[in-house]
Amino acid sequence: MFSDFDFGVILRSLPYLFKEGMTFTLTLTAVATVGGVILGTLIAMIRLSSLPVLPKIAAGYVNVMRALPLVLVIFLFYFLMPYIGQWALRADQPIQVGALSSTIITFTLFEAAYFSEIMRAGIQSIPRGQVAAGYAIGLTYRQVMSYVVLPQAFRNMLPVIFTQTIVLFQDTSLVYVLSITDFLGAASKIAQRDGRLAEMYLFAAAVYFLISFTASMLVKRLQRRLAVAR
Amino acid sequence: MSMISMRNVSKWYGPQFQVLKDCSVEVEKGEVIVVCGPSGSGKSTLIKTVNALETIQNGEIVVDGVTVNASKTNLPKLRARVGMVFQHFELFPHLSIIQNLCLGQEKVLGRGHDEAVAKAEALLKRVGLSAHAQKFPGQLSGGQQQRVAIARALVMDPVCMLFDEPTSALDPEMITEVLDVMVELAREGMTMMVVTHEMGFARKVAHRVVFMDQGEIVEDALKEDFFGTPRSERARNFLSKILSH
Ligand SMILES: Nc1ncnc2c1ncn2[C@@H]1O[C@H](COP(=O)(O)OP(=O)(O)OP(=O)(O)O)[C@@H](O)[C@H]1O
Ligand SMILES: [Mg+2]
Repeated sequence: MFSDFDFGVILRSLPYLFKEGMTFTLTLTAVATVGGVILGTLIAMIRLSSLPVLPKIAAGYVNVMRALPLVLVIFLFYFLMPYIGQWALRADQPIQVGALSSTIITFTLFEAAYFSEIMRAGIQSIPRGQVAAGYAIGLTYRQVMSYVVLPQAFRNMLPVIFTQTIVLFQDTSLVYVLSITDFLGAASKIAQRDGRLAEMYLFAAAVYFLISFTASMLVKRLQRRLAVAR
Repeated sequence: MSMISMRNVSKWYGPQFQVLKDCSVEVEKGEVIVVCGPSGSGKSTLIKTVNALETIQNGEIVVDGVTVNASKTNLPKLRARVGMVFQHFELFPHLSIIQNLCLGQEKVLGRGHDEAVAKAEALLKRVGLSAHAQKFPGQLSGGQQQRVAIARALVMDPVCMLFDEPTSALDPEMITEVLDVMVELAREGMTMMVVTHEMGFARKVAHRVVFMDQGEIVEDALKEDFFGTPRSERARNFLSKILSH
């Protein structure tokens, strides 16, 4: 079967694959990670707080998100977001939300649920004595969180956060359901157009593997360094 | 007026377990009080109520004229004036030594960075650790970390200092270096409340010894009286146990 392999098609489509496809894949990964970690940290802090009601809502949100397949959430949000926007902005008509914005919002909200669990574990791993020491020098709750607890929680959880990001990097390929051109989508388009399915999908697989595998190795190294620093 | 005044302080964990039973202690300015007693007797809890790290349900605590357990009290402001040293040091491991000493000065007292660094360096020098300013806590020995922790409390210019078993997590050869700093501090007139079983320290600088058992203050005596003729059976037993080591 490899005898009539056409590697030229890969070469010719490289600019399109990377400039269009990979750029979107990486952007979505980065935005959803940063947004997800920030939002997830807020959710984690709410869940660990002694506020009324809010912790339950936050927990409910996390549990629902983690119980649904990502593809389903992508679809649901795509169809529901215009109406949610209408309700939130008190508009007369459903708000126009493009597939692109819808995707970015969906991934951020979805990942926030997972990152909140990571950050919750991170915050809980900080010994109570650290919090007491923060209060003892006169820091407020906010300051203890910002200067003592969260930096340490974040640092301890960095390998887990990156591991989740690698999973997310692969999951971004699900945007194909909204016909968005990510890296896999771009490869897929060329494959269909030129009838070169084997070449393009194998190449895409090689690229995903290379990036994910290298990233995992880097995470392992980081983990070892953090273990020494502690 | 006392620097620290605790009157009829009671505290419960849950509905059943009373950890502090009607405890009263007065610590005058410049006085050094040693608190001792068996494990679980409530020493840590008692000392943590002074800067409201533990709340109380009954009684009153006044520190330098400020009622600690009044709802309108600005706790961060109060705590900034009360230094505290913990059994396990509790330095912030993600910050360098100098950053550990600057955090409270800058974020709580609002000192400028240069002023904070100068103050931090002065106190590091005082505890003999100037060479370690840029290191991280994990790179120091236990004794060194505890001396940094004392310096971290002192940079805030506290009106009194609380110590919760500051040497009990240390290897024996490091205990002296920490006690030396504390003795010097006591001799300079710092008001100190020290939970410790280091009776050598108590003999050297304490003015009074408070003995606790099962949440009660069983004995509150001048050092000479406590070591000479403890009045209670429980204190006598306790003393004979720890002094026989
Ligand atoms: N958060 C808590 N909830 C319930 N019980 C507690 C809590 N913290 C402490 N206790 C109990 O209160 C009692 C007093 O504890 P405390 O730490 O004050 O004793 P201690 O005299 O400092 O003992 P040690 O010498 O072991 O440090 C102990 O029986 C302990 O188990
Ligand atoms: Mg204790």
